[in-house]
Amino acid sequence: MITAQGLHKRYGAKVAVDDLSFEVRPGMVTGFLGPNGAGKSTTMRLMLDLDNGSGQTLFDGRRFGTIRHPMREIGAVLEAKAFHPTRTARNHLRMLAAGSGIPATRADEVLEFVGLADVKRKKPKSFSLGMAQRLGLAQALLGDPGTLILDEPANGLDPHGIHWLRDVLKSLAGQGRTIFVSSHLLSEMSLMADQLVVIGRGRMIYNGDVDGFVREFTQATVLVRTPHTTQLTTALGSLDGVTVEALPAAAAVAAATADPVDPAAVAALPAGSQPSGALRVAGTDAATVGEVAFHAGVLLHELTTQTASLETAFITATGASEEYVAHDLGPAPPPPQPPPAAGAETTGGAA
Amino acid sequence: MTDALRFEWVRLRTLRSTYWLIGLGLLVTAGVAFIIAFATRNDPLDATNVAAVLTGGAEFATFIPVFMAIIGIFATGHEYRHGTIQPTLTAIPQRSRLLLAKIIMTSLVAVVVVALSLVINLVIGLIFWGEVPSFDAPLDEVVPGYFLLVVLYTILGLALAQLFRGVPSALVVLLVTPLLVEGLISGLSLVPALDWLQPALKFLPFSAGARLLATEPYEPNGGPEFDYLDRWASGGVFAVFVAIILAVAWMLFKKRDA
Repeated sequence: MITAQGLHKRYGAKVAVDDLSFEVRPGMVTGFLGPNGAGKSTTMRLMLDLDNGSGQTLFDGRRFGTIRHPMREIGAVLEAKAFHPTRTARNHLRMLAAGSGIPATRADEVLEFVGLADVKRKKPKSFSLGMAQRLGLAQALLGDPGTLILDEPANGLDPHGIHWLRDVLKSLAGQGRTIFVSSHLLSEMSLMADQLVVIGRGRMIYNGDVDGFVREFTQATVLVRTPHTTQLTTALGSLDGVTVEALPAAAAVAAATADPVDPAAVAALPAGSQPSGALRVAGTDAATVGEVAFHAGVLLHELTTQTASLETAFITATGASEEYVAHDLGPAPPPPQPPPAAGAETTGGAA
Repeated sequence: MTDALRFEWVRLRTLRSTYWLIGLGLLVTAGVAFIIAFATRNDPLDATNVAAVLTGGAEFATFIPVFMAIIGIFATGHEYRHGTIQPTLTAIPQRSRLLLAKIIMTSLVAVVVVALSLVINLVIGLIFWGEVPSFDAPLDEVVPGYFLLVVLYTILGLALAQLFRGVPSALVVLLVTPLLVEGLISGLSLVPALDWLQPALKFLPFSAGARLLATEPYEPNGGPEFDYLDRWASGGVFAVFVAIILAVAWMLFKKRDA
């Protein structure tokens, strides 16, 4: 169990970590998420007493610096290539083992485990990022610790490696260990983590389980396709807290199929005699929309619940707190011919 | 503490530069010893020649002191250059203990290297001398002085690299200060208007440190006219210089982010 209380760090006037408190529980993988520059690494450095700041982190009730052989209890890797380029992988681990009272033979065991046995006597300066990450994991596992703290361990791994890492971390958590893993990629975390700590600009955005994160930061919406959009919009407007958005036909296809817009699909979609328009309804569920439509005598062509992906939730949650904001490409040059007007409002007007 | 010492021992042992620097230092000083012993083979055996052979000319060409200082620089500088300070501190989070282990282990290596070099150079000398020289004054002070000088250089290198948290700046200070800065100050003191600098020359740390190996009193020979403090006081000047750098480096290491 890791308990972080009031972690705070500033560089001059800039606050890097702003009063973060959270718990990392044993037996599960806790993902530590945030955009680049959110303060994830600084937080981890504070937890390990590498950086000076305020607040404290307790590992089963003890500060890191007071643990006699910390490597035997906490395996931490903050940088992928933290080794001397000409000291072999094996010697690198043997050196750390010597400093922690761990038998030297353990270095061979963990190198075998992470799949680096063949290159253990090679100089690691030629290691790829993926191999360096594996050496990092070997280093973290050297003391067979009950707690793992890993900063972006999947960075640079190939898909096979990521899959392997995920399985390893999940099974280590299954053995009752405490696993705290950072990433800026939500897709990675969603497959690995049970709990999330999400930060942006050093501040806590969310702390809880993965499903809760999606619930809190995404709104499930209902996609409705009907030839009578105006009538349905009016009927739904009488409900509290419900918002209705008319979708242009092309966007409606994209929303429904999750594919890039295909003009053929747009053309083919209106199956009935009347072209149907699409509405996105937020603030209620599909059953209620169906009921309202039924009572209003509105014909429906489609009624679908749409759940935003974890990725969308992440962008919603951290969008305002991105540290380094890149700009989109400028507006696309105007097309040679104006596209045919295909707005849902204009085509779907009925009643 | 034993764990930190074992860590440091494996760190030193698994670095190729350790072997290169020690090997090169022993070889070069043996070469210098050979040249001096050969050139003076028909001269009467005096303390100056014996000291020059035993130390491989360390009074004027500080090979082993500088090479051991580089080993000291690598002890702390590599941690920052290659980012290993993070795994190191997660293994041994007690920073003073870590730094002390580095000082003890590199100093021990320095002592062993000096002893080895003295033995090699003595054997080379004996080939030409045909008799064991007497280790009376000043050799009874030069030999321990040589040990002290090399240990101080080693600690200085380690402290400089810890202070600058890297290898290159520590190397520059180590090599440039004795050559250029101290040379410049000595040179300036020869300008009549600046001769008030001369009494301060005995406090130039590297020059003072070299007096640990002196077999004769300082002769100006056209250079600045002043008197050094005696051997051990001059060594003390160098030791204080090293201690100040080490104290600042140590304090900052405790205080700063790793």
